[in-house]
Amino acid sequence: MILHPGIIALLTGALIEVALLIYSSYIGLVIIMRWNANSSTEEQLSLERKTYLVSTIMSFVLAFSILSTLLFIYTVDGMHRLFTGAMCATGSLNANPVGWYALYMKISIFFLASIWIAVNYIDQRTEDSPLVKKKFILLLCITPFLFSDIYLQFRYFLGLKPNIITSCCGSLFSKEGGGMAGGLSGLPTHPMEYIFFSSIFIYVFIACVSLFSSKGFIKYLTGLMAIVLFIISLASIISFISLYFYEIPTHHCPFDILQGHYNYIGYPLYISLFGGTVFGILTGVGEGLKKSRLLTIQINNLQRKWTITSIALITIFALICIYPMIFSSFTLEGY
Amino acid sequence: MNTIIKTENVTKVLNRGRPNEVRPVRDVSMEISKGETVVLKGPSGSGKTSLLSLVGCMNRPTSGKIIVKGKDVAKLPERFLNLIRRNTFGFIFQQLNLINGISVKENIMLPLYPTGSGFPELKKRAENIMDKLGITHRKHFPVQGLSGGEQQRVAIARALINNPDIILADEPTAHLDTKLSGDLINIMKLLKEEGKTIVIATHDPLIYERDFIDRMIEMRDGKII
Amino acid sequence: MGKHIKILEFALSSLWRRKYKNLGIIMVFTLIVMTLSSILLLTYSFKREAFAILKGAPELIIQKIRAGRHDFIPLSYTKKIREVPGVGKVIPRLWGYYYDISTGGNYTVLGTFRGIKNSINVLKGKFIRHGESGVCVIGKGISQARFAEIGDRIPIKGADGKFHSFRIKGIFGADSNIITNDLIIINPEDFKSLFGIENNIFTDIVVQVYNPSEINNVAARIKALFPDTRPITKKEILRTYDTLFDWRSGLVLTMFAGALLAFVILAWDKATAMNAEEKKEIGILKAIGWETSDIMELKFWEGFVISSLSFLTGLIGGYIHIFFFGASIFSPALKGWSVIYPDFHLMPYINPYQIAVLLFLTVIPYMAATIVPSWKASITDPDVIMRG
Ligand SMILES: Nc1ncnc2c1ncn2[C@@H]1O[C@H](COP(=O)(O)OP(=O)(O)OP(=O)(O)O)[C@@H](O)[C@H]1O
Ligand SMILES: [Mg+2]
Repeated sequence: MILHPGIIALLTGALIEVALLIYSSYIGLVIIMRWNANSSTEEQLSLERKTYLVSTIMSFVLAFSILSTLLFIYTVDGMHRLFTGAMCATGSLNANPVGWYALYMKISIFFLASIWIAVNYIDQRTEDSPLVKKKFILLLCITPFLFSDIYLQFRYFLGLKPNIITSCCGSLFSKEGGGMAGGLSGLPTHPMEYIFFSSIFIYVFIACVSLFSSKGFIKYLTGLMAIVLFIISLASIISFISLYFYEIPTHHCPFDILQGHYNYIGYPLYISLFGGTVFGILTGVGEGLKKSRLLTIQINNLQRKWTITSIALITIFALICIYPMIFSSFTLEGY
Repeated sequence: MNTIIKTENVTKVLNRGRPNEVRPVRDVSMEISKGETVVLKGPSGSGKTSLLSLVGCMNRPTSGKIIVKGKDVAKLPERFLNLIRRNTFGFIFQQLNLINGISVKENIMLPLYPTGSGFPELKKRAENIMDKLGITHRKHFPVQGLSGGEQQRVAIARALINNPDIILADEPTAHLDTKLSGDLINIMKLLKEEGKTIVIATHDPLIYERDFIDRMIEMRDGKII
Repeated sequence: MGKHIKILEFALSSLWRRKYKNLGIIMVFTLIVMTLSSILLLTYSFKREAFAILKGAPELIIQKIRAGRHDFIPLSYTKKIREVPGVGKVIPRLWGYYYDISTGGNYTVLGTFRGIKNSINVLKGKFIRHGESGVCVIGKGISQARFAEIGDRIPIKGADGKFHSFRIKGIFGADSNIITNDLIIINPEDFKSLFGIENNIFTDIVVQVYNPSEINNVAARIKALFPDTRPITKKEILRTYDTLFDWRSGLVLTMFAGALLAFVILAWDKATAMNAEEKKEIGILKAIGWETSDIMELKFWEGFVISSLSFLTGLIGGYIHIFFFGASIFSPALKGWSVIYPDFHLMPYINPYQIAVLLFLTVIPYMAATIVPSWKASITDPDVIMRG
């Protein structure tokens, strides 16, 4: 199953990424052990300069994680014919559930790499580079994720046995289907709609309050709520939002909305959701980094921008979700 | 007195601990006031260039303090040094160091590219300076085709585009004939009149015997004497 | 924003000033993209054509197997198959291959007087009628290979060693002609006498199933009823094609892994080897106030421009090669793809997925290979140019 062009591409990319990250981790380890901001030695200078390399590599990793998630979904989607019963990406992923873990891993890498880049940004803008050790410890924590990502992808593609009878969104994402995914689509639609819209409302409210409040806990709460909202939103996309786009009451697929058939609506939808979540989380993460006066000044500036961006993106996300509910003739009454 | 540059016990050690260890600058303490024109004088290898590059935030000293406009820059990470350098200093090098193949105007605007200032702003500044130095008629010419004197002016224009408070010149006349050296000195005088602080490293009597020089600092073996 | 544009602008001018040096890498890059895109485009269009053929294909076909080989199936089987619940029409078919010595082509001969789905509308002339003997309908490929027009006669060597001649009544002229290109349709009676086949046996049986989700059940029942048969579902064929084509292109791509690696090493090498002039330029930029990250951005833009340029040229090149020149460079290597005939025009087709795969195989390795060299260049000491 490995000799598929898409799989070769994904694995090539992943290998490159891991190689770059191993190198960065090595640099990271040296920096954690030998960094001394008060020293003017040539070694210190060379360490400082290596942080540029690492930050470039991390930007590469972030960009790559986005692209590879998309390519992964497309590859998996294109393979559904190989599995009896599979009709879209969901079906192919179910053919070997490791695929789901690979996808979760990619999403985690996206969030972690974004946080790293933000921490690096703050660090580089503060004169005494106060976050150096923290950011390289974070880097060392990201590396295992990349390893898992490549390992899970290998496991997934190697483990695919064509002709496995799998359940697809029709059956798996239907109320009869078991597992978490089945549970999600089985969630009663109306309560789910209430939960979704109220959590959006609560999030936007908390985030707005945090804009005007200087209390730390409300910023942490914003970050936390962003994560909660992210999970609720994914559940809602599977449970009812996707249905409005497909106008089919049984099609709960979170991937098909990325296709041209549905005007690529999935892209703005996910971009606004992921973006809004990242900036929300950053609001909380930033709060935890206010350890010195200089940092506090830096972060206060950024935090404001982050929170506003997050509010804007989540609002856009909500509008995209609401749009078909208002303007399409399709209703979910009775489902 | 209004001090703009101050060094306290600045020492630079290169290749420390190795057989080729050198100390181009040793325990230098000095002060330069705003608007002053100072010459750093000393024989070859005495550490003039090294001191100039430390003061100009090109690199960091091994020990000691360097205070530029009231801020200690000795321990700043490179990107902050760069920021200060970009906003405070204009450099005139021994070689002209122009980028061949691009026009006069582009060469002059180059230092401002990473600052993110808008194009109209860049253009306005470049044109002002070209006017001042009399090279406007050459603005679209590739630099490699210009005469030595014109190239010299381009290099000076490039050093001035960020409107620096301090001008650092390292052996600016080393490659110039007497006439061009005279031109350069006239420009320096002009800059002095505008209130710029000027530090010139040189052992050319043509410069340090002029009366617009306020003070001479003599160096030997990395030390001020 | 303005900053990035200015740096991009400078990157462009800097590339232009060294155009001859950069031309080498651009050419190699373009060649790599062109080769890989040709492979991908070709396999994808084969796959698409194959699926186009199969679109009209029956959902379920029953073949008889004897000693592990495909054998003629007796008409008596059809009666019992018809009784299986869920089965609609049951149609026995007569078809086979004919190797034509004079043109060296392998033709498909079909014995039927019914039209073929989707292709009847592209027929020039008339279709053969029931009971009409000594007439045929042929594909465009055959008509061209034998310079035969409507009204001409086509001789076919029969099982008896003699030539039987058929008058051409119609010619298929589809644009995408893989379906009908090599086809000869004659009446079932003619077919039997031509190939010396007894009455009441057929090549295979097409079974129509009312409910698509029942197909597997029906197939299983028929298999149980006649253990010497092999039911083939369309899904199975599609799956086989899918795997086959993906596997083929994957295999070919893997064979190019060496070339790709060489390219990455070349990219690394080119990015590392800067001449004195380039080093000096970076030194100047650092000295006049460009920061390490600005130089890295400059290098990024250079790589970006080189990759986009090469990628686009290579992709367009591959597209033209496959769809306008009929994969002429590859054709010697393609002899093994027996379903394809001497003259084929593939329908131009390209999708974002192929482009993404290509990006992953070319641009991402290139960018990755230039990260470390660009960084090395960007950490030049700002004061180097002060000491000649
Ligand atoms: N990067 C370096 N590596 C090794 N030695 C260096 C380096 N930089 C400076 N030096 C040494 O430090 C000493 C001072 O050099 P510097 O260039 O500052 O002198 P200078 O006064 O400018 O001389 P000149 O008049 O020739 O330009 C010299 O002996 C030089 O060889
Ligand atoms: Mg010198």
